[in-house]
Amino acid sequence: MVLERFRSLDLFTKLCSSWLTIMILMAVLGPLLPLVNPREADVESMGVGLFSSGHVFGTDTNGYDVLANIVDGSRLSLLIAVVSVGLGGFLGAALGIVSAFVRGKFDYVVSLSFNIMLSIPNLVLGLALVAVLATSPDPTQAVSSNRRVVVVMLSLTIVIIPILGRIARGATLTWINREFITAARSMGLKNHQIVLKHVVPNVLPSIYAIGFLAIGVVIVAEGALSLLGVGITDGVSWGAAIARVSGDFTYAPHSMYMPVAVLALTVIACNQIGDYLRAQLDEREGKI
Amino acid sequence: MKAKTTSIVDVLKRLAQLLLVVIGATFLLSLLLRLLPVGLKELYVTGLFEEDRQRQIKELGLDRNAFSYYLHWLWDFVRGDFGRIVLPGGGGESVASHVGRALPKTLQLVFYTQIFALAVAIPLGILSAYRAGRRTDRFVSYGLFTAASVPNFVLGLLLALIVGAKLEWLPPLGYVPISESFVDHIRGMVLPVLSLGIPLIASYTRLLRTDVIATLREDFVTMAVAKGLSDRRILFTHVLRPSSVTLLTAAALNMGALIGGSLVIERVFSIPGLGTEIGFAIFGRQYFALQAYVALVAVGYVVFNSVIDVIVGIVDPRTRERRGA
Amino acid sequence: MAGSGKAHLRPSSDPILSVEDLVVEFKAAGRESIKAVSGISFDLIRGETLAVVGESGCGKSTLGKAILRLIPSSGGSVSFEGRDLLALPDDELRQMRPAMQMIFQDPVSSLDPRFSVARLVEEPLAIWARGTVEERSKRVDELLEAVGLDAHLVRDRKPYEFSGGQCQRISIARSLALEPMLLVCDEPVSALDVSVQAQILNLLQDMKERYGLTMVFISHDLAVVKAVSTRIMVMYLGKVCEVAGPDTIYAQPRHHYTHALVSSIPLPDPNAPRVRTAIEGEPPSPANPPSGCRFRTRCPAATDECAVEEPQLTEVAPGHFVACHHPR
Repeated sequence: MVLERFRSLDLFTKLCSSWLTIMILMAVLGPLLPLVNPREADVESMGVGLFSSGHVFGTDTNGYDVLANIVDGSRLSLLIAVVSVGLGGFLGAALGIVSAFVRGKFDYVVSLSFNIMLSIPNLVLGLALVAVLATSPDPTQAVSSNRRVVVVMLSLTIVIIPILGRIARGATLTWINREFITAARSMGLKNHQIVLKHVVPNVLPSIYAIGFLAIGVVIVAEGALSLLGVGITDGVSWGAAIARVSGDFTYAPHSMYMPVAVLALTVIACNQIGDYLRAQLDEREGKI
Repeated sequence: MKAKTTSIVDVLKRLAQLLLVVIGATFLLSLLLRLLPVGLKELYVTGLFEEDRQRQIKELGLDRNAFSYYLHWLWDFVRGDFGRIVLPGGGGESVASHVGRALPKTLQLVFYTQIFALAVAIPLGILSAYRAGRRTDRFVSYGLFTAASVPNFVLGLLLALIVGAKLEWLPPLGYVPISESFVDHIRGMVLPVLSLGIPLIASYTRLLRTDVIATLREDFVTMAVAKGLSDRRILFTHVLRPSSVTLLTAAALNMGALIGGSLVIERVFSIPGLGTEIGFAIFGRQYFALQAYVALVAVGYVVFNSVIDVIVGIVDPRTRERRGA
Repeated sequence: MAGSGKAHLRPSSDPILSVEDLVVEFKAAGRESIKAVSGISFDLIRGETLAVVGESGCGKSTLGKAILRLIPSSGGSVSFEGRDLLALPDDELRQMRPAMQMIFQDPVSSLDPRFSVARLVEEPLAIWARGTVEERSKRVDELLEAVGLDAHLVRDRKPYEFSGGQCQRISIARSLALEPMLLVCDEPVSALDVSVQAQILNLLQDMKERYGLTMVFISHDLAVVKAVSTRIMVMYLGKVCEVAGPDTIYAQPRHHYTHALVSSIPLPDPNAPRVRTAIEGEPPSPANPPSGCRFRTRCPAATDECAVEEPQLTEVAPGHFVACHHPR
């Protein structure tokens, strides 16, 4: 069935879903692949170009293999994206759906909270959160890498909550006025059953569609934060890899081109899938 | 007469909502400071003697509770007092002076980008809608989509790399104020504006394209053609008007992403704007300054959106009717 | 008009549904509340079909939903099977739901677009755990056949694949699944083409006989209810105007509003002599209804008395009740 769906897509969307699948496989199978150790600098071949021996994509000026770092970086970048959007989406959607269903004061408070959080542009909010939460007590000592990752994930989750929350709330509002909800109540369903059986399945498609776009947003945000020096610092994510080489790329430009290209292509692919899902949704809504 | 009175009440209601959002956001920010793993006192209270420490604590308002602190902060903020940079020896510059220097540069970047993007996207969008369905159209639409999805810092890095460093057509970094040299100012801004602007152009073009294609199908267009109006006249005066609302709204929505993007672009191209100041504040652990900057951004964003809302309310032909004009 | 009063109630006949002084209010933003239903009473004897007729905005749909407590009411009582639905705790109310079902106006939006037809019709049975999965499946097929659909063809399809009339049939099948005693039909044919309307009305009649239903039939169209109802209640702006049997309402409408409604029904013979009474003016806003009789602002026979005192329902002939100071 999945294969059927895939075949029905147009070429561009096919390419995008294939790319994403490759990225996911890369992230999951990373450590098993026969690649050079990404954290080990090959001092004998620093800054070598593409297709050099032993380094398919070459190395950066410090000798780190570019391909290995891309593969390694994908793990963290995709993990952050999936966790932030997954958790943020779940919390945001839950709040949004319940608040639209219940209405009244709760709805007012929730939707005001969403608006408040959305009044600060995404990146700025993420930046402020990471900056504050990732401060280390001792100015000379950097915060541990794991701590940074958690802080980045947490901050981006918080950024995503109102984005998907508002979508979920809006979608729920359009559905609860339909008569099948009143019908469900007249059949004797309890409120929570109505929400789970009838509201959520109808709202979910719009959440998926925007969810993919959100993954793109988070990947970009992580990249931007790392570039600014507040995100992941040790070079173990795509953004960090780019940041690491941004100083002296002129000597080994491919060490910048490659991770940048991979990041951009992944974001484009996410946007396309999200767009495709949204178009599907519009089509289906049109039939009703 | 009746319509006018309701709209004043509406305006007040909207203002109240606005105020609520801004107060909520700035209050949350001031709470955020309290979440610092370190504690503001440890960071800033550096006096050796107890009385120095007490004095510092009082100065910085660290002895107040969350609400009291916020209210004092708010009162200062609306009067333009954004606090000072906290230095161990005291006597840091006022944050307001940093803002005064940096904000105009960021505003320039952001507004040049919006204007540039709209100026290019409008003819591009109309043209591509006009020629929709031809063979090259598919290609163009995918190209637009890709351009719209490329992260702006990626573009920035690539442009700086290729056009700036390798080809040396334009300076890869540095900012020149208008007062010094208009030409150099523009030259310095070209690459940053392109990096932020190309995705925006693509996004506006796509939006306009869809809108115009839909509008072209409407009866009033057929009527205009039948009347004998020239294609250009129809496109630019009749068709553009309804789409202007969509564009305005899109411009407002994109402002947030633009502001975020400008942070990174300022870093890439070394433009000493608000983004750079925010960076300094973060690395210098100047959290009061950070709070002020972010609050400014939030207020600016909300106000900007509300202004656009009002403009849309006036310009949108649908709402104009309702107002009984 | 502005009818209140309970002269038309028949407690001695042991009605299965008895509504008294029902009030349903909506709070419009900031302004005073709108009383969509203002003190309405009526009852229903087993096997009857009561038609509730009135123009849009008179409160009839609100009434329908309120008696099943699908929307909250602000006053009055709804006695069903001897228990006041409005006073029951939530859980007990839920237990009573299987006995009282509803059919809605928009056939397509009353069905969850993600459910297959079989699942839609089975849902009530599954909620109340009636029978095993196979037994339920059989029952679903029976119900679908009963409403005139080919079970095997429609089972696995989704609502958007069907026409309005077919969707309404599915709705009817679903509402009969729990073998209710009371069926409230809220404008069930208003959204359908005229040719399909007749089919659905016939279907409802069949179902009524087959399952021994008692129905409340809400409609804005007097012509539609003539064939299906045993008693008609005419509403205006939240109040009752007239209550009588269908033949009486058509032949001798005593209330001026009813008369206007009846006379506006198109007749097949264009040359037949008729006197059309046009009602003047627009319906007043439900937020600010006229004092006394609510219909007086549009009534040809209004006097000063009508502005002061609200008319009560009085029996003008056996089984025929009118709320008017100067009935025709």
